[in-house]
Amino acid sequence: MFDFIKDPSLFNLVRGPLVWVAFLAFIGGSAYKVYYLIEMAKKDKTVLPYIGMKPTLRSVLHWLVPFASRNWRMRWPITVLTFTFHIGLLFTPIFLLSHNVLVYESWGITWWTLPEGVADIMTIVVIVACIAFLLRRMFAAEVKFVSFSSDYLILAISFFPFLTGFLAYHQWLLPYKAMVILHILFGELMLIAIPFTRLGHMFYFFLTRALMGSQFAGWGSKDW
Amino acid sequence: MAVREVKEKIVSREFPEYIRETNPDVGLDESIKELTPEKIEKAIKAVIGARSSRIKAIMETCIHCALCAEACQWYLSNDKDPTYAPVAKMRMTIWEMIKRDGKVDAEFIKQCARIVFTECNICHRCSMYCPYGLDVTFIIGMVRRICFVLGVVPQRQMDQDHAHATTMNQVWLGQNDWLDTMQWQEEEVGAEYKDLRIPIDKEGAEVMWLPLGAEPKTGIYHIERTAKIMHVAGIDWTVPGKDVWDSSNMPMFLRDFATMNRIVRGLYENAIRLKIKKMVLTE
Repeated sequence: MFDFIKDPSLFNLVRGPLVWVAFLAFIGGSAYKVYYLIEMAKKDKTVLPYIGMKPTLRSVLHWLVPFASRNWRMRWPITVLTFTFHIGLLFTPIFLLSHNVLVYESWGITWWTLPEGVADIMTIVVIVACIAFLLRRMFAAEVKFVSFSSDYLILAISFFPFLTGFLAYHQWLLPYKAMVILHILFGELMLIAIPFTRLGHMFYFFLTRALMGSQFAGWGSKDW
Repeated sequence: MAVREVKEKIVSREFPEYIRETNPDVGLDESIKELTPEKIEKAIKAVIGARSSRIKAIMETCIHCALCAEACQWYLSNDKDPTYAPVAKMRMTIWEMIKRDGKVDAEFIKQCARIVFTECNICHRCSMYCPYGLDVTFIIGMVRRICFVLGVVPQRQMDQDHAHATTMNQVWLGQNDWLDTMQWQEEEVGAEYKDLRIPIDKEGAEVMWLPLGAEPKTGIYHIERTAKIMHVAGIDWTVPGKDVWDSSNMPMFLRDFATMNRIVRGLYENAIRLKIKKMVLTE
């Protein structure tokens, strides 16, 4: 059933050209997304003139640090959940030993890596957090009312690279090669999806906070 | 004879969770009869298209986490009914309009008007609770503007808007009545305080006091008390003798940009004309 996986051309495809496609789409798409929004905002007289550096930094910092804002303190289980999730989501792939080895094989460069045990725990945290988010979306009334198929889709997009990566590392369920190919495909899908879905909030976060933080500073009030 | 109170409930056609008591209002019930699908689509596109960068940022960032819910006094005081959450109000109004590309019917506009005019106070608290600082209030304001452009506004609010557009105050008070009220109050308080004046149009005064429309109309004692405070504190003050003097600016709540602009401009023109240093507003 899995004979086609033994064909090296499939692995070479996802390991070679598709990686380039994914990274180009991710970097190019994201840069264009941010550039396009700022260009649009220039036409709106009530956006850019209000934005100041100091209130932007204050606002961003208060929401990037756990428990630094009132809502993070009030909803502490969600704060713990979302911060561990996002830290795992962002840093595990960047500092994973295996990913570093791949980069080293290609370009001969390497950087700091996480111990494998730590990376494993961080992956489990992301997987568990995804399930927790899913349950919250399905059962918390206020979240359920505003949940669409796109919400489940972006949750799945961030879930599967970690699940397949975890299974591949432990060599469970599918033959290793098959799982790795799946993992790479899901990873590439996630990178491509970031600029084209609401996962783009990783960039827009800073822009929307800049406007709101500056507006609240203008009113002499805090927005955290 | 037993008295039975039957409270009729409305269940929204689009959102079965949205259940409310009936609340007849001529401003909503009658005005939607004038609407056509073409008019609605045109109004929605005109309003949303003009301010698209902020709407785009909000629509493409909101992750539907509903962390804004706990910020809303409507949500908290209605047993955490999910349809009162700020994000739910966006979902039931603008998201639906954009999803259907402006092709919604009059009944939907009426439901939007009920949500944005009677279930949100535009207090900005949800933005303080949103991890992205999204301006939900801005969206509500845009929907209010769509409803206003279409003429679907609760009657009381539309009347205040018309009053501002016509007389530049919210209580249909003519300029002669305004001046007369000031002079009458000066006489009244004169019995208690020697030399007390309510200076009208005094050039170069330190402070210009701008009341709310209701003060000269129904809360006249406010004027008397303000005059006493200013007199005893020894403040060099004045009130404008020309329009605009009402600082309440109700058109702002409908996002009637033309009238709200005239009011703010009028207040500043009075300040420049009288060369005053500070404006003091009633709140």
